[in-house]
Amino acid sequence: MRGLVKGGVDDVRAVSRGWRWGRRSLVPRSAEPHSLPKESPVFPTAWSRRRPAKAVREVVQQAGLRPLFRSQVSPHVEGLDMLGRVKPPVLFVANHASHLDTPLILLSLPNEWRRITTVAAAADYFFDTWWRAVGSALVFNTFPIERRGGSLASTPGDVLNEGWNLVVYPEGTRSVDGWVGSFRMGAAWLAVEHQVPIVPVAHRGTFAAMPRGQGWPSPGRKPVTVRFGPPLRPTEGESAREFAPRVRDAVASLLDEDRSTWWEARRRAAADAVPDPSGPDVAAWRRVWAQTESPRPVSGMPRRRAWRRR
Amino acid sequence: MILALEMFRSVPRMVAAKAVGGRIPGILSGPAAPLRLVSREQPAASRPGWARVRVRLSGICGSDLGALSGRTSLYFSGLVSMPFVPGHEVVGDLMDDCDDLPSGTRVVLDSVLTCAARGVEPCASCSAGATNRCDRITVGHLAPGLQTGFCADTGGGWSQVFIAHRSQLHAVPDDLTDEQAVLVEPLACAVHTALRARVNRGDHVLVSGAGSVGLLTTLALRELTPAGDITVVAKHAHQRDLARDFGATDVVVPDEALRGVRRSTRAFHVRGQLGRSYLLGGVDIAIDAVGSRKSVEQALHATKAGGRVVLSGMPAVADLSAAWFRELEVIGSYASASREPAADGRGSFDLAMELAAGGGVADVASGVVSYPLHRWREALDHAHSAGRLGAVKVTFDPRSSR
Amino acid sequence: MSRPGFVLEVDDRTPPLVVHEGEGFRLEEFPLGTQVVYPPESLPAMSDVDEAIQHALLHPEGSDPLPSLLRSGMRLTIAFDDISIPLPPMRKPDIRQRIIEAVLTMAADAGVDDVELISANALHRRLTNAELKDIVGERVFRSFHPQGLLYNHDAEDRGNLLHVGMTDQDEDVEINRRAAESDLLIYVNVNLVAMDGGHKSVPIGLASYKSLRHHHNSKTMVRSHSFMDMEKSHLHHSAWRMGRMLADHLKIFTIETTLNNDVFPKPYDFLLKREWEWGVKDQASMLAVRRGLALAPDKLRHKMFHDLRAPYGVTGVHAGETEAVHAKTLANVHRQQMVEVQGQSDVLVLGVPYLGPYNVNSVMNPILATCMGLGYYFNSYRGQPVVRRGGAVILYHPVKPDFNQLHHPSYVDFYEEVLAESTDPAVIEAKHEEAYATDPWYVHLYRTSHAYHGVHPFYMWYWAAHAMDHVEEVVWVGGDRRAVGRMGFRAASTLADALEMVSGTVGSSPSITYLRNPPHLIADVH
Repeated sequence: MRGLVKGGVDDVRAVSRGWRWGRRSLVPRSAEPHSLPKESPVFPTAWSRRRPAKAVREVVQQAGLRPLFRSQVSPHVEGLDMLGRVKPPVLFVANHASHLDTPLILLSLPNEWRRITTVAAAADYFFDTWWRAVGSALVFNTFPIERRGGSLASTPGDVLNEGWNLVVYPEGTRSVDGWVGSFRMGAAWLAVEHQVPIVPVAHRGTFAAMPRGQGWPSPGRKPVTVRFGPPLRPTEGESAREFAPRVRDAVASLLDEDRSTWWEARRRAAADAVPDPSGPDVAAWRRVWAQTESPRPVSGMPRRRAWRRR
Repeated sequence: MILALEMFRSVPRMVAAKAVGGRIPGILSGPAAPLRLVSREQPAASRPGWARVRVRLSGICGSDLGALSGRTSLYFSGLVSMPFVPGHEVVGDLMDDCDDLPSGTRVVLDSVLTCAARGVEPCASCSAGATNRCDRITVGHLAPGLQTGFCADTGGGWSQVFIAHRSQLHAVPDDLTDEQAVLVEPLACAVHTALRARVNRGDHVLVSGAGSVGLLTTLALRELTPAGDITVVAKHAHQRDLARDFGATDVVVPDEALRGVRRSTRAFHVRGQLGRSYLLGGVDIAIDAVGSRKSVEQALHATKAGGRVVLSGMPAVADLSAAWFRELEVIGSYASASREPAADGRGSFDLAMELAAGGGVADVASGVVSYPLHRWREALDHAHSAGRLGAVKVTFDPRSSR
Repeated sequence: MSRPGFVLEVDDRTPPLVVHEGEGFRLEEFPLGTQVVYPPESLPAMSDVDEAIQHALLHPEGSDPLPSLLRSGMRLTIAFDDISIPLPPMRKPDIRQRIIEAVLTMAADAGVDDVELISANALHRRLTNAELKDIVGERVFRSFHPQGLLYNHDAEDRGNLLHVGMTDQDEDVEINRRAAESDLLIYVNVNLVAMDGGHKSVPIGLASYKSLRHHHNSKTMVRSHSFMDMEKSHLHHSAWRMGRMLADHLKIFTIETTLNNDVFPKPYDFLLKREWEWGVKDQASMLAVRRGLALAPDKLRHKMFHDLRAPYGVTGVHAGETEAVHAKTLANVHRQQMVEVQGQSDVLVLGVPYLGPYNVNSVMNPILATCMGLGYYFNSYRGQPVVRRGGAVILYHPVKPDFNQLHHPSYVDFYEEVLAESTDPAVIEAKHEEAYATDPWYVHLYRTSHAYHGVHPFYMWYWAAHAMDHVEEVVWVGGDRRAVGRMGFRAASTLADALEMVSGTVGSSPSITYLRNPPHLIADVH
């Protein structure tokens, strides 16, 4: 009996070492030419949108994530009234600069919205190992989308059809310098195809608080802001190609509004003088430098109140 | 006064030995042994033809162990007189002149106590020279006893001194060591067995058992008979080597014996129920040199129809179906005769003496171990597992005190 | 998609690799630089096997379509490969059953009355009724067996053997009389490895000892480099001479089939995957199976393995004239099993699994393990042996001296009597073969019971003769010391010990090649 247990322990040890448990499995060098192109694993996430997972997520987000998030950054939310003008499902289209973006947007949403909002996450990053996939699906309600194309268990369309809101970062990846990159067509296409409104979302300060490559927000509870804009709907017969620039302009205008005021931003928009959200064409360090500055908290608005809605 | 090991009648010990001796051999050399070391008067050699013998070496024979463990059939209980000193494989020195043999002659003992020793008219067997078949072993001026070593009056080899009759004594040539000489008696029995087997030229012979009896029988078969293949069943490695040295063509382990015989004789194998396994066909002659039930049955089962089975060990109760069904000739072979008709009337001891001088026996003799009398428990233990421990013969050396 | 085989070089990224050893397997960490030869992945199976069979029978190679060969009043005999192939036995329906059913359907349509079916088991044991039924299927069994028209070939039934003649090299050609005197003999084969099939089917499967001994002997086997390569196998040359002679005497219609590499069913399919591609599920099943095996009593473990039925897929069915058919068959076998290997190595490592051709539903005794390792696996090469002359072979197997008395009675005696005396195939052959081959008891058991013929263990030993002649050292990892010693080899408890033991011959840092089979592979060594 002892031999049996010992044999089992030895086996598990050998396997955990040989197959690098907890790390990426490796292909022997000489076998690389003979390996199949790595197929993106099809990770089913339907379970994460069912009742038990929802219950767990509610506890994790409210009791764990929210206090943790607020202990690390100081968020400021504007424009939630825009949500009164639409009914789920909607697409939240946001710029993307940091891993903080997702919790920021999710935790900014009113509870009844948050509970039915999913996040489109890159399959090759968030769903390449089972524990990361389970973790992100459970905590952030992510589901995988393919950046490079491939088969998926559930498509964003399915999710929208089931009545879920969807957070999409049309840049496809986090910005390297905090400025906004080019938008892909996906979000616009989804909106056109499934006739759902897009709620543009702009946020600032997440790059300054936790840029790419950093695993944890910088100390000092850096301020971050998030602003929801008026919903956009594709007009009759409008194609995704025509709609996509409108979405980007909306996000750019929101960023401008966040930086200045609504009125100034509107006027610049009317004058077709919205600052390019992709930033000035200057040396890389200056671009980064500009973005590492946290947004100044809007005066006259107590921080606490901004978070404690209703 | 002399030291002697004495076997006495003790019903509880006998029962105990019989009950568990087979399973726990240690008990035979321990509390249950009906044996004791005693000091007693020297036996007196008062009648003519008798003389005292001072023991040099005395072997422990399988039949001695059988008697101690109570495994011997009660058949023999009328043929012994208690208490007696065991030991019938003896080499010693004459302490008195004995007819033509002067005092000091080194002698070996033909242990059968015949008409001549008992001072009665020779019976038919004795007259014919078949002294081992003597019918008068319970009468005459000696207490009953088939051999020296089972008789209360003569003493026996497991003591310092015993008495023997001239008819029992054979002078030992000087070129034999004591160890070789002590093997002469078992060798004479082996010679007798080999001659009793009436081997025809080229006969295939199976010797079941490779203790001293089996090995020496193998030697006798090879030297004195025209046997063809000789298959020996041997349990232990050194026995296998010795068996080959003594002329075995094939050596098999007990569990493989039937299979080995079947292979070499191209017989057919039959399996009955409950592990009854036997051959149709087989060897011409089988010699049982153990006496256990398993060994006897193996000999019966490996012999072809009309073949011959020679019982050389003291046999246990066994299934004789094969003897009936295969019309086997089952013959006994006990001790040795003073005139062997199969060897032109020569005596077994003379033949044995010649064989004992050969190189093979010298090798065996070098493996003879001896114990002083007072370490008899160790000696019996050793004898019990002699095969496993690599000894062919365990003896007492009453001269030694260490 | 199935990927071709390739040679892995063990590096620090390589996980432990599976090595089969009898009724179990171990995970072995090979020294860096060890070459591991992986067989090609299983080829896609034919989707419609029955259609393929019909096509093969109606459009045969070098022969008229089968229906035109069948006529009322003819004597038709169908012989088929026995239980020694495929390994492990195939999941029902057996491919032989499907073919025999198709053939019989055509025969019935043509009004053929005189049909007999013979299991071509040569000197192998007779199949039990259940085993026959597994091969030919219930319909065929029920239609023929009760009438005594479906039976095992009996190489000792003098009355039912026909000496057809001699080849130009004075080899007796003696086969089953019924087969030899038929108007048409149809042979249904499963070509599991490259050795099978072609003229090895009829002249060997239906032959007598008198005919077999011309090629089943130590001299032929030592010179066959290897017997898996018919071009260079003296065994096959002899069989081909016999086959051509037979083809002149009698009309033979050969049907050959090839299988893919799907050897292990679920949940053992991880054994077929390349280790570094094992997912969590594979690793978990491996751990579970390992624990299960450790926990299971011997009997249960034996049963677990011997109850495995391979989910083989059929990759080819060809019919017609023997040699034309076999060329196509061989191409299929090579496509599934051939792997290119560059250069010979000092040490060859082989894991001997629980099953060889001669212990289906039985026990792999030490002689069969040797035949499997040094015979079949060692000879699984083309060109030159995987290991250099004078190198070492390291095998994995428990080599327990357990024998099945029903199937292998002469093996016990061979092990106890013959091997105790000599392990040199030539010496053994000269001294003992005749006695075993003609032993009436073995003959009796072969004919009436389910025993391999008395001479069969000798053949097993000859099978390993080339390997024993070629290499200097043979070490069994995990082998029973006494049994291994009896066979003239050495035993080690770990690979490291074994390498240490052979270091005197091949040096302390030898080049090592491990053939990772099963499934079957042929190393094409350049």
